Amino acid sequence: MDASEGEGRRTFLGWVGGVIAAMIGGAVGIPLVGYTILPALKRQKLSWHDVGPVAELEPGSPKEIDCIHSVTDGWQKTTTKKSVWAVKDGQGAISVFSPLCTHLGCGYRWEGDQRQFYCPCHNSYFHLDGKVLGGPAPRPLDTLPVKIENGRLLVIYKEFKAGTPAKIEL
Amino acid sequence: MGRQIVQWLDNRLNLGPIRVALLDEPIPGGASWIYIFGSITLFFFLLQMVTGMFLSIYYSPSTEHAYMSIQYIMDDVEFGSFIRGLHHWGASGMMVAIGLHILQVFLYGAYKKPRELLWVVGVVLLILTLAFGFSGYLLPWDQRAYWATQVGINMVGTLPVIGDVLIRVIRGGQNLGAMTLTRFFALHTLFLPWLLMTLVVLHLFILRRVGPAGPWDAAQAAHISEPFWPKQVAMDAVAIGVAFTLIASLALLVPAPLSDPANPSDTSFTPVPEWYFLFYYQLLKYLEGPLEIVGTVVLPILFFLGLFALPWLDRRQGRRPVSRPIVMGAGAGFLLVVFTFLSLSLYEVASLPTSDPSVLRGKALYQELDCAGCHRIHGEGEAFAPDLSYVGDTRSRDWLLQHFKNPQAVVPNSEMPEYGLNEEELSDLTNYMLTLKK
Repeated sequence: MDASEGEGRRTFLGWVGGVIAAMIGGAVGIPLVGYTILPALKRQKLSWHDVGPVAELEPGSPKEIDCIHSVTDGWQKTTTKKSVWAVKDGQGAISVFSPLCTHLGCGYRWEGDQRQFYCPCHNSYFHLDGKVLGGPAPRPLDTLPVKIENGRLLVIYKEFKAGTPAKIEL
Repeated sequence: MGRQIVQWLDNRLNLGPIRVALLDEPIPGGASWIYIFGSITLFFFLLQMVTGMFLSIYYSPSTEHAYMSIQYIMDDVEFGSFIRGLHHWGASGMMVAIGLHILQVFLYGAYKKPRELLWVVGVVLLILTLAFGFSGYLLPWDQRAYWATQVGINMVGTLPVIGDVLIRVIRGGQNLGAMTLTRFFALHTLFLPWLLMTLVVLHLFILRRVGPAGPWDAAQAAHISEPFWPKQVAMDAVAIGVAFTLIASLALLVPAPLSDPANPSDTSFTPVPEWYFLFYYQLLKYLEGPLEIVGTVVLPILFFLGLFALPWLDRRQGRRPVSRPIVMGAGAGFLLVVFTFLSLSLYEVASLPTSDPSVLRGKALYQELDCAGCHRIHGEGEAFAPDLSYVGDTRSRDWLLQHFKNPQAVVPNSEMPEYGLNEEELSDLTNYMLTLKK
């Protein structure tokens, strides 16, 4: 075997090792990257929650109702109770508002005599339909997805970024 | 580009001598397929390290969460089942590779002078690998893990005088529980890896100082000598590629097992250790009463003392197997015992009831609640409600659990009644549903 033949053989054997190392690296490395990154990027699965019969809502009179909020953190699941505001208008259409003020996320309340929602933290006022009447709130109250099935109201609880003119889901 | 980077580093760090030490080691008699097993073992150890590190990203070493975190890895994390499969089957692969490596060294008499230290460090590495297997087995905190570890630890209790104290030290207290799990986790992921890594480096260092033994025929060994790089490296790489392909295929096709969550009150579970402990598990069945201590203490101590002392017991000149009949006979006898007991054990394990008790309870519950009054499984039952023949393929554990708890919350128009099942019943029925697969 002359020198160039020997060198060619060395290069070939080097390539064999390199290709196998690259294949194993890819077969393990790519799944590991997905394994580490993808679960962190997943959005939480949100589910519908039954918050009670629609018939209990009176037109023009907002009602604070409890809504179960399930949070999945990896293998741990916790459920917390959140209250949301449900409003039926004159035509019978129903809106459900997130309980957090769109300014900085305080809880607001309904002032029956004034017929408006009032946030005591920084004096934001909202109309029955959620529009801003006054104060620093940058956008109307955040509406939540609702549907009615068999006379019962179903809601998906979500939270949104506070302080921005646009409604950005967290 | 790569060549330039190496050149740049070489100019500054003078890598030449290191390359010579690592790759240009002469192999007496030339490269051979018989020398691949040490490299495969080292590869599996690295694979275990990498997959183990990544598994610990999601694993929680507490009795409350360990099982659920493994379930999460298997069901919800992308590639989780594959990564755990690699770790599970990689452990078996490593044991097989070690077995073949020891067999080759034994057959070639490569433990003889001047390689006694290489052999002794190798035996310590074997013990550490067995400790890895035993400590890792507990971590999923399922029934298999709990009961097999319970039996394993109790064997230590047969040691005279110090047995009781030792049991408590291993368990971290009186019972097998939270303290045991954190101990085993620390041992498996922190103490043992460092110890094993240090000893692997020592093993390789000694190998480089004394050199590989080569063929047992001195004339053949002297005939040619070939450096480790490139032919032996290429042979090792091909062998590692084949070994990895086998393990990766198993990881894809046969998911790592996970039985029911550990339940200390459920004594109906028959614990079976990992296959590489099976021959020993079988042997212990024949040693009862006063003989028990022979199996649990005397034989293991004698076996490992014998292994450690082998280079000094077999001091005759020459490494040819035919000139070492006593040692070869002892080795063959040992293998015969191991494979006989392993076969007997596999035969007995195969005849154990294989069904998960939880699944059986779930099936009984399905009948008790008359689910077949509405649902159909493989043609049996009514067809008013969805066919459940392959429900395990289409629904997740979470979905099923939620649905059994409150059917209307998951499927708003569902006509399925709410049965008010307790947690155990919910889990049993869900486990049964999950077995209904194509």
